Amino acid sequence: MKNAAAWILWLVFTLAFTLATRNPVYLVVMIASQLLLGFSLARQKNNPLWLRGNLWFLVTMVSISALVNTFFVHTGSTVLFTLPKNWILIGGIITLESLVYGAINGLVIASLYLAFNILNLALSIKQMTHLIPAAFRPIAMTVTVALTFFPSVQTRAREIKEAQLIRGNLMNRASDWAPLVIPLLVTSLEKAFLLAESMTARGFHMHKSINKRGSLLIAMVLGVFSIFSGWILQLYGYSQGISLILYCTGGLVFIAVFWLAQRAEGSTRYHSVVWTLPDILFSVLFILASIGLFSLRGNPAFSSLQYSPYPIIQVPTVQVMGIALGLITLIPAVWLSHD
Amino acid sequence: MKIKLSKLLVNLTVLCLGNLSLFAPFIFTGARTAAYSNTAFPLTVSLILILCILLILFAAQSDSLDTKLIAFLGVLIAINAGLRFLENAIPGPAGFSPTFFLIIMVGYVFGGHLGFLMGAMTMFVSGLITGGVGPWLPGQMITAGWLGQSAALLKPFVRRLNWTGKPAEVILLAAFGAAWGLIYGLVMNLWFWPFLAGTSGLSWLPSGGFVTNLQRYGAYYLATSVVWDVTRSIGNILVMLVLARPVLKILHRFRMRFSFTQVKAGGS
Repeated sequence: MKNAAAWILWLVFTLAFTLATRNPVYLVVMIASQLLLGFSLARQKNNPLWLRGNLWFLVTMVSISALVNTFFVHTGSTVLFTLPKNWILIGGIITLESLVYGAINGLVIASLYLAFNILNLALSIKQMTHLIPAAFRPIAMTVTVALTFFPSVQTRAREIKEAQLIRGNLMNRASDWAPLVIPLLVTSLEKAFLLAESMTARGFHMHKSINKRGSLLIAMVLGVFSIFSGWILQLYGYSQGISLILYCTGGLVFIAVFWLAQRAEGSTRYHSVVWTLPDILFSVLFILASIGLFSLRGNPAFSSLQYSPYPIIQVPTVQVMGIALGLITLIPAVWLSHD
Repeated sequence: MKIKLSKLLVNLTVLCLGNLSLFAPFIFTGARTAAYSNTAFPLTVSLILILCILLILFAAQSDSLDTKLIAFLGVLIAINAGLRFLENAIPGPAGFSPTFFLIIMVGYVFGGHLGFLMGAMTMFVSGLITGGVGPWLPGQMITAGWLGQSAALLKPFVRRLNWTGKPAEVILLAAFGAAWGLIYGLVMNLWFWPFLAGTSGLSWLPSGGFVTNLQRYGAYYLATSVVWDVTRSIGNILVMLVLARPVLKILHRFRMRFSFTQVKAGGS
């Protein structure tokens, strides 16, 4: 799977499932799938330390979250031990339920982090830059200039630092960094000046005034308000239907504005985006799985999604559907060898 | 005139909705769907922040960004992203980040729009380079953007008091950097704090009022972040005191040089 849009759909599904469940079994299945997928990608990209680093992060996250919750939340029935009441914040009963709840929180945070970490691993910087909508052409150009200049800025910084070291400046104090930063800034801005001159001379990015830009901005403002209102209504428990309408209206306004602005700006595609068969199949699968998850979220038939160790800890219920949804995350790994 | 009004509307909207989203745990208390609030809260806030950022970028790019500023901003962002890369590779004292310095300088010298772009896009580009793209990125972008934008507010103040070129100017910038070192941490914690809902005295209580949640957040902040943020503030002061004067001179010089305009052939 190589297409950036397909990976975004993978991310949407992974985030949706991670946030929809508190069942530790499903979360462990999901994280195991993510680790396997990440490991396959990292091996492909010659990054042997990826798995160790992320396992370390996972263990740290779960441990910290479990410990913080255990010592600060004094609720639950299975008492492990008791700390003196006069100990500020941590005094009181220490329960198994709090420990498990904290560990589940840690699993959720680790899964969210892993999802984005895998996306960063799967997509190149170029692919991520291509995700910037064409309506933001000047912004995308600025990002491209920054990314293009980044290696030369680093090289120049190293050269200046070496020159300073030869002159005996060991850069131990904050004031010692001025002879590095100032020449770096001046030489980089000189280069920027040359670039600006040559871009202007070639008529690059001649300013086009887009008609109705003010109207497009106002439409975007209304779009954000629509989505924000949908969220507030959802927070206060109003009908999900109203929120959904407001979300869709806001989303459609943004899509329409981007389309109109893109058409007015005009752009040239030097590389066509490739959609392979696996990209299409997996994208359809992730869309269907996300829709399925959304519709099943509140359904009593799929109650195992929700789990709470409070008030007394119980073994979580497990359904095949939940395990299957957790394993969907792993699917891109199946096709990695073919990419 | 219409464009100016719509830009003002955009800035006010982003300021209002961005802050309402980030400060939602204190403002929209008594939310009935606490379960939803806990789990989906951080991502929904991130989504609204992304839309706010898109809105302000769309407004800023319309007439602020020509070829000169694209090149200028691109190079400054590359330098700042390099500093952030350095910060990740060689961690300094906890919380210290050299990236705030250039954002403040650009906002102060070139105005609010460029300051916002510098802040937001530094975070974006360095996120791309360091593999730091995640739900935390919109919060970082908008907060760093506000940092650059608000630096422009110091300029009229400095002019009125005739502090330009005097030590007081640098001291004011250092104090501004110190304040933002703390504000940045305070704001950045907010997007995920409700996620840590529980019954401890440190976590968000959906049924609690403004004051209760403010007290809880205060306790959480003191327990987890204050040392980190104070180090960042001290770092900002040091960097500002050492580098502000020469960097201000350089930026003022390049501001003049980058203000060349195209003259139409045969015209004046």
